[in-house]
Amino acid sequence: MKTHWLKLAGAVLIATVALLFTRTVNAQSAPKQKIAVVISTLNNPWFVVLAQTAKDRADELGYDATIFDSQNDTAKEAANFDDLIAAGYQAILFNPTDANGSVANVLKAKAAGIPVFCIDREINSTNAATSQMLSDSYSGSVKIGEYFIKTVGQQGEYAELLGIVGDNNTWNRSKGFHSVVDRFPGLKMVAQQSADFDRAKGLDVMTSILQAHPDIKAVFCGNDAMAMGAYQALVATGKDRQVKVFGFDGADDVVKLIAQGKIEATGMQFPKVMARKSAEFADAYLKGKRDFPQKIPVPVELVTQANVAKYSDYGKK
Amino acid sequence: MRAVTWIIAIAVAAAVCGLFPPFHLVPLKTAAAEQKAKAFDTTRFAGTFWTNRLLPSLDKAVPARELLSAIQNDPPAAKKKYSRSLGLDENYYYFLRGDGKVVSISDDEISLAISKDSTNAEVALETGLVFGDALRDGTGLLNVNDYPNSQDFNDLSAALDRIVETNVIPQLRGQAKPGETISFAGCAEVDDESTDLKPLKVIPIQTLTP
Repeated sequence: MKTHWLKLAGAVLIATVALLFTRTVNAQSAPKQKIAVVISTLNNPWFVVLAQTAKDRADELGYDATIFDSQNDTAKEAANFDDLIAAGYQAILFNPTDANGSVANVLKAKAAGIPVFCIDREINSTNAATSQMLSDSYSGSVKIGEYFIKTVGQQGEYAELLGIVGDNNTWNRSKGFHSVVDRFPGLKMVAQQSADFDRAKGLDVMTSILQAHPDIKAVFCGNDAMAMGAYQALVATGKDRQVKVFGFDGADDVVKLIAQGKIEATGMQFPKVMARKSAEFADAYLKGKRDFPQKIPVPVELVTQANVAKYSDYGKK
Repeated sequence: MRAVTWIIAIAVAAAVCGLFPPFHLVPLKTAAAEQKAKAFDTTRFAGTFWTNRLLPSLDKAVPARELLSAIQNDPPAAKKKYSRSLGLDENYYYFLRGDGKVVSISDDEISLAISKDSTNAEVALETGLVFGDALRDGTGLLNVNDYPNSQDFNDLSAALDRIVETNVIPQLRGQAKPGETISFAGCAEVDDESTDLKPLKVIPIQTLTP
C-alpha cells in the first residue's frame, strides 16, 4: 500500500515538473507577434515622432515592432511591403507616400491576410486598408486661412509652398486655405510651387520665389519642414520681418519660433495621438476585433502667438 | 514546309491581334475628356444633395428652444444629446430649426430672440462669407466613409457654403427687418467648451417669413 502511494506521489511530481518545464519552454520559445511601421520618410522630425510613437506603443502592447523608411519613394515602399509580407509580419501601421500609388501595396498586404492601418495620410480607396486615422487637414487649413486674413489683411501678394503633389494632404491643406483666402480678391497669390514637404527644398524654392517676387507679404507652407526652410530663406535675405510665415504640422521647432514671434501660425496635428491609436487598433484587430471605421478624422488645432503656451512636444501640454 | 508553318503562325497571330487588340490608341483629348467625366462633380452633387436630401430633412433638426434651454441648463448634457462630431474632432455641430424675432442686423449676422418674451440675441444667423464644414458635417446626412478621396468630401464643404452664400443669405437679408419673425433651419459649429454660445452662431439653410 505504502509503495503504491509512493509511486503515485512520484508520478504526480514528475507530471508537475514536466508541465512546468513545458510551460517555461513555451513562454521562452513563443515568438512575439510582429508589427511593421512603414513611414513615408524619416527625413522629417514630424514623421520620426509618428514612427517612433507607433513603434513604442506597439512594443508596450507586447509586439515586436520594426520601422521601415520608404524615403518618399513608392518603389522603396513597394519593396518594404514585399519584405515584410515575406517576413511574416502580422499587422502594418502605414504612413503612405502616395494616395493612389500606395493602394496596390495595401491590397497586396490585404491579399496576404495582413491588416493595414493608415496613419495621417490616406489612400484613395475605402476597401483596402482596415482603417485610416487621418489628420483633418482641410478643416485645419480653413482655420489657418481665417487667421491669415486677420493677420496679413485683405490686400497684398503672397506665395504658397505645396507638399508632395501625389499626396491628398497637400491638396486638402491647399484647398482648405484657398477656400477662405480666395474670397478676398485683394490678396494675390504670385507663386505656388511644390517643395515636397522638404526643408532643404523649402529653402531653395523660397529663395527663388523671393528673387522673382520681392514684395510678398506672406507665405503659406503645406508643412512645418517647408515653413522652416522658408523662414531660413527669409532670414538669409533679411526679409524675415516683412514676410509672415504660416506652417502646418505642429513641429516643435516651429512651435518654438511661434512663441518667439518669428512664425505666425501652424496647425497642430497630434501625431502621437494618431500613432498610438493606430497601434491600439492593430492590437484590437489581432485580438479579434473586426468592425473598424474606415476613416477617422483627427482634429487639427490652430497654434498662434496667442495660444502657443498651450502646445509643445507635438501636442497639447 | 518550314516557310508555310511560319506564314500560318503569323497569320493566326495577326488574326488574334485583330480580334483582340492588345492595346488601343486613344487621342489625348478623348482620354482627358473621359477622365473628366469620371471625376466627382462636386457642384452638381452638392446641388442635388441640397434639393433632394437636405431640404426634406429639415424637420429632423432639433427645435431651437429645446436646444437653447438644454445648453443653458447643462452644456455637456446638451452636447451629448444633440450634437454631432466627426472622428476624434473636438469641435461639434448642432442641427437646429425654429423661429425668432429679429433684434439686430449687422453686416455679418442677423440676431434673433428665440425664447418667449425675450429681447436678447440668442441665435445669430450668419450672413457674411461662409467657411468650414458645419453644413457638411452638422446634419449627419453625409458620411466621410462614402468618399474614397477625402478631397471630394472636402470640396463638398466649399460647394455647400457657396449655395448658402448664393441662395440663402441674399433672401434672408431681403426678409429681415427688426421686430419681424423669421423661421429658420441651419447648422452651428462649436469649437470647444470655451466657445461663447450667447448667441449661438448658425449658418442658415432655409429662412422664411410668415
